[in-house]
Amino acid sequence: MKGLVALRSIKNRLCTDFDAFCRMILGQTPPPALSFASPIETLKPSIPALTNIERLFGDSIFWAVPKHRRSIEKRLKRKFGCIDDFYKMLLPRTDLFTCNQCGHSYQRRHLCPNCYKRVKDETTEFQEVIEKELGLEPIEQEVVVLYKGERTKQPVEEFFKGKRIIELKREKPSWFCRNLLQRTTIGNSDAKDVQPSELA
Amino acid sequence: MNQAEVSQLMSKLRIRVNPRHKNLKQPDGPQGRLNKLRRTVNALFKYERLELNYTLADETRGYAERLISEAIRHGDTHKPTMEMADYWIEEKQLIHKLFKVLVPRFNDYKTSYTMLYRAPKAYPDIVFPRSVLELRGNPFPAILPQRSDQRNFIHNVLLDEAKKAYRAEKYEEITKSLEEQREE
Ligand SMILES: [Zn+2]
Repeated sequence: MKGLVALRSIKNRLCTDFDAFCRMILGQTPPPALSFASPIETLKPSIPALTNIERLFGDSIFWAVPKHRRSIEKRLKRKFGCIDDFYKMLLPRTDLFTCNQCGHSYQRRHLCPNCYKRVKDETTEFQEVIEKELGLEPIEQEVVVLYKGERTKQPVEEFFKGKRIIELKREKPSWFCRNLLQRTTIGNSDAKDVQPSELA
Repeated sequence: MNQAEVSQLMSKLRIRVNPRHKNLKQPDGPQGRLNKLRRTVNALFKYERLELNYTLADETRGYAERLISEAIRHGDTHKPTMEMADYWIEEKQLIHKLFKVLVPRFNDYKTSYTMLYRAPKAYPDIVFPRSVLELRGNPFPAILPQRSDQRNFIHNVLLDEAKKAYRAEKYEEITKSLEEQREE
């Protein structure tokens, strides 16, 4: 009962005198606010309490405050992403392989970037030469592109009989592996001995 | 109509055909899609190897295969085939190429007439997947490297046997020379 009475007295004092309440809790009064004796201000009509509250909500920090607790699933999904869709953690890639020809790495089931770039450059050059050579005439023959110095060899004309031969003005690059024109046998084909060369 | 005749009516393509066509979103709608496909088919017959977005390349492939297949089956005296070729090929010198170059080239093929590869992309880039579409038997350097490393290829088998024979000969020589040294 005594406690109740004490609480009630505290409440009353809080309602009537804020400074006294502060003195009771903190042991000191809040510093006196700066005040100006401005005649214009005193002439202003006092703002009603309702508009005061509206203004407080209008331009204050009370705007966006979470209303509901965000569930643990949602929080975890925001933090880590979804494992199938948009995973935010870093995972090791297992679909990278090393090219057998050049040693660069490439993505599984894709072309090797290094090898493809070489082929692509060569192809665009071939295409430009072929387009310039053929022009607008009807195309009735297969086209073969030869490098500089390949045409003078003897079997070329027989090998590409019935095909249109277009010559490039530069040497064959060393990586070009389609080596149709190299002789497979040297000298007499009657020789029966087969000797591998350059073995360790 | 029996079954054999039904199979003669349609070209049987040797590629996977998607159950539904791709829209290839265009400002001009379906007609724009067809125009784009026509341009691409024309370019494929002209250049024989193209780098395209994967969807466009996959869609173009079917039309190109169908056209070549029809040309092989009916020849250049068949009127509907010729109209089809006239529609799909805008540069008319390529119609000659279709019937005089591509038909003889692909006549005996047991595989598809085109190839589709997935083109590489730089790692962090998020781009539409690219691909390389080509006619087989083109004059350009091969995209895939020649597989010379397989053990069972005939030249590798022969080389292995030759190596064995060579080594056996060498070992005999060495043993002979060692015996001679001992006798001395
Ligand atoms: Zn490579």
